[in-house]
Amino acid sequence: MAPNVNQDEVLRLIQEHQKIIYKICNSYCNNKNDREDLGQEIVYQLIKSYPAFNPEFKFSTWMYRVALNVAISFYRKAKNDNKVTLVSQHEDYEDNNEHVLRLEDNISILQQFIDELKELDKALMILYLESKSYKEITEIIGISETNVATRISRIKEKLKQRFSNINQH
Amino acid sequence: MEDSQLKDLLAIYSHQLEEARVLNLQSWVLNYKCYEALQSQKAKSKLKSLITFKKFAILLGILWMLILGYLLFHSFEMSKIFFVISVSAIIVITSAAIIVYAYHLVLLAKINNTENVVKTQETIARLQASTINITRILFLQSIFYCTFWWTPEMILNSPLSFWLISFPVAFLFGWGSVWLYRNISYKNAHKKWFKILFNSPEWTSLIKANEYLLEIERFKLNA
Repeated sequence: MAPNVNQDEVLRLIQEHQKIIYKICNSYCNNKNDREDLGQEIVYQLIKSYPAFNPEFKFSTWMYRVALNVAISFYRKAKNDNKVTLVSQHEDYEDNNEHVLRLEDNISILQQFIDELKELDKALMILYLESKSYKEITEIIGISETNVATRISRIKEKLKQRFSNINQH
Repeated sequence: MEDSQLKDLLAIYSHQLEEARVLNLQSWVLNYKCYEALQSQKAKSKLKSLITFKKFAILLGILWMLILGYLLFHSFEMSKIFFVISVSAIIVITSAAIIVYAYHLVLLAKINNTENVVKTQETIARLQASTINITRILFLQSIFYCTFWWTPEMILNSPLSFWLISFPVAFLFGWGSVWLYRNISYKNAHKKWFKILFNSPEWTSLIKANEYLLEIERFKLNA
């Protein structure tokens, strides 16, 4: 894309939908530097691919496609990194009561569970967390709606099983 | 855990993922110079580096074929029979690699991150699996680098050094290359020899490609 051609527009759209990039980077990378690299790579690919964007479709759907494709390719390089958990944000809580601690534990278990998911299942989970419709998930991932529904249901069952196993111990 | 509890937990986690803004995204997007900065990141693009590598490999392969072809053209005589056979075999294997690499370039040009995730990932995985397969084939040519200098005179005049040194070395290389051809796979990725030979994330990702292709198939079929 030549500089200035649609540049303002694409930058505005990326800024409007920046939560997508945060969510994907935080889901696929545990290391701060990797998140930076992945975020930068996603933005680069979005700007580069923007001329191919069809305005008849939702920008967020298109953005998810690009960002997930870049993230999965990046993730598959299988870097071994030191973990930086999202739970650390709770350090700001003054009220460290039992409820908050339990919530932290549950979030930690959930994060570990999502970390362990395979690349494509993780993508499905990210879209599910975003409350995307099965139809939109189908457009982004490229499998049937039935397949989407079945896989999400299986992942949720496994997650419930994980929690019940932990609670039993 | 109840459905409603799980739903709440997922919502909190989703919110945390969005809010954990460890990225410097704001500055890249807002700063008008970011376009130039991003352009400088081009080299970091994984596909770009792959394309450059393949172009370089094709160029090197063609150059090597020209040299070998020239030598072969001037060697058609009985006394150089081992040279002719070895160089011909190397030329055949190198041409196969060049054709496959050229095909990869066509596929690389078709990779489009704006396509759905499964389609794009499948194309990338196919490319990677093909790259590792042609690498395995390239290993097979190593035996011919041990035989090209043999001559019938050498076998007749110095049988002892041929059968005790030259032949065992070539046999060892031949056996080694066939062994590598059969054993370079994700199943052996945890082994020490494998880690020494393919000690980089790029190779790990290539080796995993066949496995990943199966995973994508299972994902598509909901298996």
